[in-house]
Amino acid sequence: MVNYGGDEVSALVVDIGSSSIRAGYAGDDTPKAIVPTTYGFTEESPSANEDIKMSEANEGEETEKPRVNLYIGQNGPSLWRENMEVSNPMQNGLIVDFNPISPLISHCLNDVMRCNPSEHPVLVTEPAWNTQENRERMAEIMFEEFQVPAFYIANTGVLNAFAAGKGSALVIDIGQSAASVTPVVDGFVLRKGLQYSSLPQLVTAHARHLLINPTSRRPAIHLWPQQLIASKQPVDAGQNPKFELRSDRVAKTTASWKKWAEDREVDEWMQSVAGVVDQGWNEQFAHQRGPKHYEFPTGYNYYFNGIERHSVGEQFFTHSRQLVETNPNLPKHLPALISSALSACDPDLRQVLMGNVVLSGGGSQFPGLADRLANELTRSFPHVKIHAPGNPIERRYGGWLGGSILASLGTFHQLWISKEEWQEHGRAIVNQRCK
Amino acid sequence: MASGVGVNQECLSAYQELKLGKKSKYIIFGLSPDNTEVVVLKKSNSADYDEFLVDLPENECRWAVYDFEFEKEGGAGKRNKITFFSWSPDDAKIKQKMLFASSKDALRRSLVGIAAEVQGTAYDEVAHESVLDKVSRGA
Repeated sequence: MVNYGGDEVSALVVDIGSSSIRAGYAGDDTPKAIVPTTYGFTEESPSANEDIKMSEANEGEETEKPRVNLYIGQNGPSLWRENMEVSNPMQNGLIVDFNPISPLISHCLNDVMRCNPSEHPVLVTEPAWNTQENRERMAEIMFEEFQVPAFYIANTGVLNAFAAGKGSALVIDIGQSAASVTPVVDGFVLRKGLQYSSLPQLVTAHARHLLINPTSRRPAIHLWPQQLIASKQPVDAGQNPKFELRSDRVAKTTASWKKWAEDREVDEWMQSVAGVVDQGWNEQFAHQRGPKHYEFPTGYNYYFNGIERHSVGEQFFTHSRQLVETNPNLPKHLPALISSALSACDPDLRQVLMGNVVLSGGGSQFPGLADRLANELTRSFPHVKIHAPGNPIERRYGGWLGGSILASLGTFHQLWISKEEWQEHGRAIVNQRCK
Repeated sequence: MASGVGVNQECLSAYQELKLGKKSKYIIFGLSPDNTEVVVLKKSNSADYDEFLVDLPENECRWAVYDFEFEKEGGAGKRNKITFFSWSPDDAKIKQKMLFASSKDALRRSLVGIAAEVQGTAYDEVAHESVLDKVSRGA
């Protein structure tokens, strides 16, 4: 058995999301390291020494084993580099590519936090729909590569519920790539009620579509990122932008980097301008909200009116019939996720869950989303109570925070999987211990 | 998932007194100062529900067991239901909320014969009417 005396174990907590990896010391109220999960890489085939052609490097990926340079962290993908590709190991909240995971975690723990993971127990979080292979793989990486003395993997749904002080709750977690609704009952996830979809991706795609297509009152908007712009001149709102591209860079920019950089522009536009109307879609209401001004890196600036701004957020709640008919695999919107989650639960339980709704994740901070959700839910259920932490850190990093508190408890230490246990029992112990 | 917090033997004996001996009306549970054990904070035999509510502090978490007595509709006589309360007000410290939420199962499992459960974060959720509404269903 593991025996850690008292509260002296300074455990580390690692929460891996699609947009960022959060890492920090258990017991702290904010993560020490917040590192983008997206990373950049360039490949050099061993034969070519000066001029590298991308096509060559790609072909040689399996056979020649080209040298891969990773660019991770705050100065990773966001700095423009010649022929740098951009990739993300996550898909729908799950890790699908484990290769960059150890460099990413190592960057958080060794480079940013400057601590030695072999001296600290590590608690990692996982989404409720994580697979058994994935969690075992994570345990393996932690024990074998980072040589951690003890390990635990905890569910973000449960951690969010616990951090809100609830043993039973309906956790609505909206991240960058996935939105999920998780019924938690007495500290356990009710798997049959678990619902998730790639809704946030649809919302971003919608915003992108809105921007890059012309309307009757404005031209199509170029989403060139500032890294590719050499100079620009101020123009009046709505006028065509006057800017020069950095022609030396444009030709050596990869498609994946461009897509990533453009998505970031869309994201920034959404964060500053977009919103959702709180009482259900109504063009007049939306219009009354008034226009908001936004300037893109190209210098193009425009007053986006209330309808344009709020139609983006509306995608969280309703999808037009046309959209539904043309896309058979449309991700479920929030009300659909919630109602399917509830219909899988006992009627007795539904009331308890609706009285304890916990809103979490960065995507839930979309302006007006919490109010709209409250309005939608009160319409269909009698006793709805939404717990949405006002503190943005608590909201965005709810899962990390829950893990931080859990791992700091002196009494929690008997639950850690120790290195000795790992060596003795192997992978099987992960599922046995971390329920 | 659980916090690993243990339950003091005294909690069980206090509960037995309430359940079998009917010596007390309600029990308030909390955590020991070092957060390792669930302990009894108060036993009371006051029948006044408001007095019970006073024992649920505004910004601290508690658990409680209350021997809820009510008149069944249609004059079918009195019923008693032992009700378990998880009190976790919104204004409590986040660490405490986490501790109480993750330790509840340990206490709850050791108390046999609980008929109803109430999870409360604000006073309206533990008010007499809301609890009555809950326990009287299916009574």
